[in-house]
Amino acid sequence: MSARWRYILQEAAIGLRRNLMMTFAVILSVAVSLTLLGAFLLLRDQVGLATGEWFDKIEVSIFLCDGNKCPEITDAQRNSLEQDILAEPVVASVFYESKEDAYAAFREQYRNEPDLVDSVSPDILPAAFRVKLHNPDQFEVIRDRFEAYPGVEDIIDQRELLSSFLQFTDLLQGAAIIVAVIQLIAASVLVGNTIRVAAFARREQTSIMKLVGASNWYIRLPFVVEGVIAGLAGAVVSWVLMLIAVPWATRNLRESIDIFPFIGLNEAIAVGPALILFGVGISGVASVLALRRFLDV
Amino acid sequence: MIQLSNVTKTYHPSGGGEVVALRDVTLEVAKGEFVFIVGPSGSGKSTLMKILTRETLADAGEVHVAGRNLALLKSWKVPVLRRELGYVFQDFKLLPNKTVSENVAFALEVIGKQRSIIQSRVPEVLELVGLSDKANAMPHELSGGQQQRVSIARAFVNGPRMLLCDEPTGNLDPTTSVGIMKLLDRINRTGTTVVMATHDQHIVDSMRRRVVELDKGVVVRDQARGVYGYSG
Repeated sequence: MSARWRYILQEAAIGLRRNLMMTFAVILSVAVSLTLLGAFLLLRDQVGLATGEWFDKIEVSIFLCDGNKCPEITDAQRNSLEQDILAEPVVASVFYESKEDAYAAFREQYRNEPDLVDSVSPDILPAAFRVKLHNPDQFEVIRDRFEAYPGVEDIIDQRELLSSFLQFTDLLQGAAIIVAVIQLIAASVLVGNTIRVAAFARREQTSIMKLVGASNWYIRLPFVVEGVIAGLAGAVVSWVLMLIAVPWATRNLRESIDIFPFIGLNEAIAVGPALILFGVGISGVASVLALRRFLDV
Repeated sequence: MIQLSNVTKTYHPSGGGEVVALRDVTLEVAKGEFVFIVGPSGSGKSTLMKILTRETLADAGEVHVAGRNLALLKSWKVPVLRRELGYVFQDFKLLPNKTVSENVAFALEVIGKQRSIIQSRVPEVLELVGLSDKANAMPHELSGGQQQRVSIARAFVNGPRMLLCDEPTGNLDPTTSVGIMKLLDRINRTGTTVVMATHDQHIVDSMRRRVVELDKGVVVRDQARGVYGYSG
């Protein structure tokens, strides 16, 4: 069986080399589309990282005194606060986040900035009540009611804080995915066409193979493998691009924006498998479809 | 081995009108036979060969080759049929970038035979056709007759039940043609059916085998030990 695979890989290599310019065009096209796809995925990661654990689960964060700006909240105060919050009709649910929880979450969110994490001691972060409202627009109600409550240090509407950032990334993500899809279509068409040209160039050999009783798949596979290898190469190129560009870009951004963490090398590495899957998948499917009518016995 | 019943094939050329290439042809070839298909150009010889190799389908009638009804044969099963038969053509159809051995081995590689089998069978069949010393030559280094022998070796290496030959001596001079026919005769004696379309008069006359003559798509003669032209 391996003699067959050796043949298939040999033929694919010959094909790729014979038409180097087209191979190059395919790799480039796939790389561009996958880079855009990667950008989309990484933006999603970035938004997730920036908004943190609680963002889409709750609307109001009530931070509790820990001795910094006001005397540390007592257990009695905390219990009565919790009761009163729950008593509010606009409140759907309340989650308590202890200082330990907060610290753990912080470490997770800022995992790409170990220096920052090291400089923060575990008890700097306050405990908090995370409140989910029935109606998100009722933030004012909570703030007015609990602003001056004993033991409450601060009340924050995170959505307000991050709204302009989120608007910006939404736009960017939308643009990235649209262009990515268009480019992916272009790349698949290019792959399909390249494979057709390769198959046409080898039609004499193909007709002899049919004569000798080679199955359709044995005849097709070298071409499909050719397409897949080019797609894989494109995916690798875009992955390497991510690995270089992401740490560099975020390093610069980190200096100007400090209200949320940035993605880093880890996320760039993690997006690789998805890129490869898409690259191989798209070019594989495009190749198979391109050969369909062309090579039937 | 072959059964054609009332086979008709019509072509519709782009200029309009229609050409009846085969008209109500009924023909049977038994195992081990040696049959010449003769007739002038346009007689339907090539169409008949195309139908036998399943390159095209008959418009009417039934075609059975090697026990299979070709009309019902699913297209993905056609390669299996082709592996049981051997094909020899006028233009040899060798892969130009492979040596003689590689060309013959190709027929075995393509069906996934192991290296060991390939390495023993190929020299065997090259010896049968008399080309053992040319195993590493490239096709363009060989004469027409030698190339055809390679082609025959490739057709025969899988041990087919039948050889279908379409003008195998068409590109060869008379002396070389005789050598090829002797080879085909030897192969036929091993029990392999041979069906050969040709308009090489001398060969047909000298071998005196069954002759099926086509004229304008119709079988006009089917003689057990026939000659090329009309005879008693």
